[in-house]
Amino acid sequence: MASRLPFIVIGPRPSLSNAAAISLLLLMLVMFAAAIGCIREDDLTLEQRSHQLAGQLMCPVCDGQTIDASSAQIAQDMRAKVRELLESGITNAEVKDYFVVRYGEEILAAPEGGGFNLIAWIVPFFIAFGGMAIALLTVRNLKRSHARSGGLASAGTGSAGLSEYLAQVDRDLGISDAATAGAAKTKSPKTGDPGPGKKEAS
Amino acid sequence: MADLGVMALLLGLALSAYSVIGSAIGVKIGMPALIVSARRALYMTTLAAAVASAALINAFVQNDFSIKYVADHSNSVMERAFVWVAFYSGNEGSLLYIVLALSIMSALAIRFAPKRMAPSMPWTIAVLAAVQLFYFFVLSFFASPFELLETIPVDGRGINPLLTHPGMFSHPPMLMGGLIAITIPFAFASGALISGNYGDDWVDVARVSAILSWGVLGAGLLLGAWWAYTILGWGGYWAWDPIENVALMPWLVLTAFIHSIMVQKRRGMFRMWNVALLNIAFVLAQLGMFINRGGPVVSVHSFASSTLGVIFLSFMLLSLVFAFGLFLWRMPQLKSERAMESFMSREASFLVNNFLLLSVMAVTLWGVVFPLFSDLARDVSVSVSAPYFNRANGPILLGIVLMMGVGPLLPWRKSSARSLKKWFIWPVAIGVLTIVVLVAFGVKRPVAIFSFGVVAFVATSIMQEWWRGTAARHRGGENWALAWWRLVNGNRPRHGGYIVHLSILMLGLGIIGTNFYQQRTDGALALGESLVIDNYRIEYVDNGNSNRPDRIAQWADLSIYRIDTADYATEISFARAQGSDGFTLKDSTPRPNDRLIGQIQPWHGFYPDFNMASVRSGIRSTIVEDLYVIPRDFLSDGRVSLAVSINPLAWWLWASGPFFILGTMVALWPQPAVERRPARSKVRTMAVGEV
Repeated sequence: MASRLPFIVIGPRPSLSNAAAISLLLLMLVMFAAAIGCIREDDLTLEQRSHQLAGQLMCPVCDGQTIDASSAQIAQDMRAKVRELLESGITNAEVKDYFVVRYGEEILAAPEGGGFNLIAWIVPFFIAFGGMAIALLTVRNLKRSHARSGGLASAGTGSAGLSEYLAQVDRDLGISDAATAGAAKTKSPKTGDPGPGKKEAS
Repeated sequence: MADLGVMALLLGLALSAYSVIGSAIGVKIGMPALIVSARRALYMTTLAAAVASAALINAFVQNDFSIKYVADHSNSVMERAFVWVAFYSGNEGSLLYIVLALSIMSALAIRFAPKRMAPSMPWTIAVLAAVQLFYFFVLSFFASPFELLETIPVDGRGINPLLTHPGMFSHPPMLMGGLIAITIPFAFASGALISGNYGDDWVDVARVSAILSWGVLGAGLLLGAWWAYTILGWGGYWAWDPIENVALMPWLVLTAFIHSIMVQKRRGMFRMWNVALLNIAFVLAQLGMFINRGGPVVSVHSFASSTLGVIFLSFMLLSLVFAFGLFLWRMPQLKSERAMESFMSREASFLVNNFLLLSVMAVTLWGVVFPLFSDLARDVSVSVSAPYFNRANGPILLGIVLMMGVGPLLPWRKSSARSLKKWFIWPVAIGVLTIVVLVAFGVKRPVAIFSFGVVAFVATSIMQEWWRGTAARHRGGENWALAWWRLVNGNRPRHGGYIVHLSILMLGLGIIGTNFYQQRTDGALALGESLVIDNYRIEYVDNGNSNRPDRIAQWADLSIYRIDTADYATEISFARAQGSDGFTLKDSTPRPNDRLIGQIQPWHGFYPDFNMASVRSGIRSTIVEDLYVIPRDFLSDGRVSLAVSINPLAWWLWASGPFFILGTMVALWPQPAVERRPARSKVRTMAVGEV
């Protein structure tokens, strides 16, 4: 703990920041791609495939359970049917179609196909990437306001020299986080009054 | 009894109404006596709720079946211990429980709020009283637990058999209590905003009360998952059912809040954001109440008979308008005091973690409401269940775990390349090494392997933090244990957080293991036959049954053997050829390397009065994997049909629970600030002067 004091670290590294932002977005992309590609049929046994499919079909009579989870008679029959259909050599999609024809789209545990149902899958993308983009833009804007105020925003926290001095004091007192938290409180101006940095900026 | 209860509820209604109005007017016209009396009125609502609850519990104990709620939820043979469960097992009783919990928590919050909160307290009290007012109102006029029956039945209907389990003593009350507890931090924040006292005074109380609510809610969710896995016997622990989702969503938002509030505490930033998070959490909690009671979505949990939907929907919308109206009104005053300095800072990483958490929340909410959209837009019913949520939320959840390792390694404000290298080199190395080793050992499923790498990365980052901190203290002359203890005690919020992070990693291990590597097989066994899966042989040795008027139960005695697959090579290859992983054996003579490792007794019950079946699975658990046996059915020809699964790493799901609770308690445990911190600050002030 004592070996890491935030105040001693000095020097902005814009290249590092951009790298971080880009790698974060890339990582998200990789994860989404992986999630989409993760379920593969070919290396599974018929039994594994039928369980997987059973987990993707809803039990028509038991509120919100898949036939894989339900012990209801109809679920047992449907599981047997899934296995039978797979043994006849048809694909997973065809098995699903078989049940959709008989029970309607509601039988699928997740919306599938194009058209309207595609919205169900696109929205999470927008949420995740939109959220990410907002977060990164927020950081950038906050950084910019920092730059505009010519670093004066940090005058409230103390200049670099003072920070180091504070850190030295912390080290001498044998404390770090707890004390800086307390100290930060005593330093922060009273109710609602914008900090000195903010005042300079506006 | 019923009269007493009705009167207590009306009294609670009057008191909370008085408290809202008295508090608000008292501040407006500057009349301290009125404010004080409004505060006392809010204390008294606790008494009103307690009397009403006592009246209902007493009615249960007395078997007073003239009260509809008692007749519907208990009978004369119900064990007395279950009165507590019966109390909140229905819609009306659970509302009474909620108002009881809320009034107790409100009273405690008012009593123990620090002195400096005084300027905003009247408004906080008004908000607390307003929420209570709503629940007393519903209880008095729309969902009274004291409604009388015209004709008194000889006996009650009995308690829902699925609830007669010790797990039900704590799971529902924790979830309901945790959800309603969000009102407390919300009220503190709102009070601060209305009163214009929007400095950082509310931060500490809001943080503590939010962590309490978050901890109770989280533990309740985990307990529910554990209960579902060990007792309910459907083979899983989390179904992304709408009711589970509406409890998870506020928890996610609170998780974001308890992180970003630290940024406000330490750096004076994110002030708007923190208020917004509490608003969202509170509105989501109300959404949960709405969906739970007459909401429009299908769930196994809901109080289906409820007609309260419209009332709860209105209250939710009212909360939404109030919370965000207040927020927009005060927004100009909520600006951050300081600016962000770098992407590579802890505050930036907290912001990213916040958006990821909110993304999971938003995706989950989207999944919950999508069926409604589909119904409205094209009149086609669709289901949105586990496969959707796993795929849509999985990647974001993994991202959150990753940030759990990144965030704490970054210092506040900004970091240098040197410090990045110093703090990231080991975690990244161990994470990559984990992936390499798993690939080298031929482990399948790339996503799971990557996830294990992420878990290893985060675990190493926490261990490194503890190792370096402890080692530094050890060099200062303390022994290792003491050094670690003092390290944790030196900053409890932080190290409590690390313990919770560890518990989340354990949960993560369990989730990866069970989702990616589960093996399954089904089979029907006659006595003496065996089912073989992987290196287990499950032999059906005996069965039994018991018939009671309220319950018909059957069970199977199963012996579990560890086998050497070489002994069964022919059968295995035959089964594989048919596309099966498991197979049944007629002849159960043990082969040379069979070794008995355990016995289980899965169980199947039927409750004629409720036309309800209940299944208890048999589990043999080790830290590596669980053998999980569900008795699907006892067939008429004497066979038992079993669903067997091997759930890798499932043990870790439940091991995480104690760590989650421990970490939360460490984070909450008050710093011995009174003796130590002022002294330090004083020395510090002497050293540096007032900045």
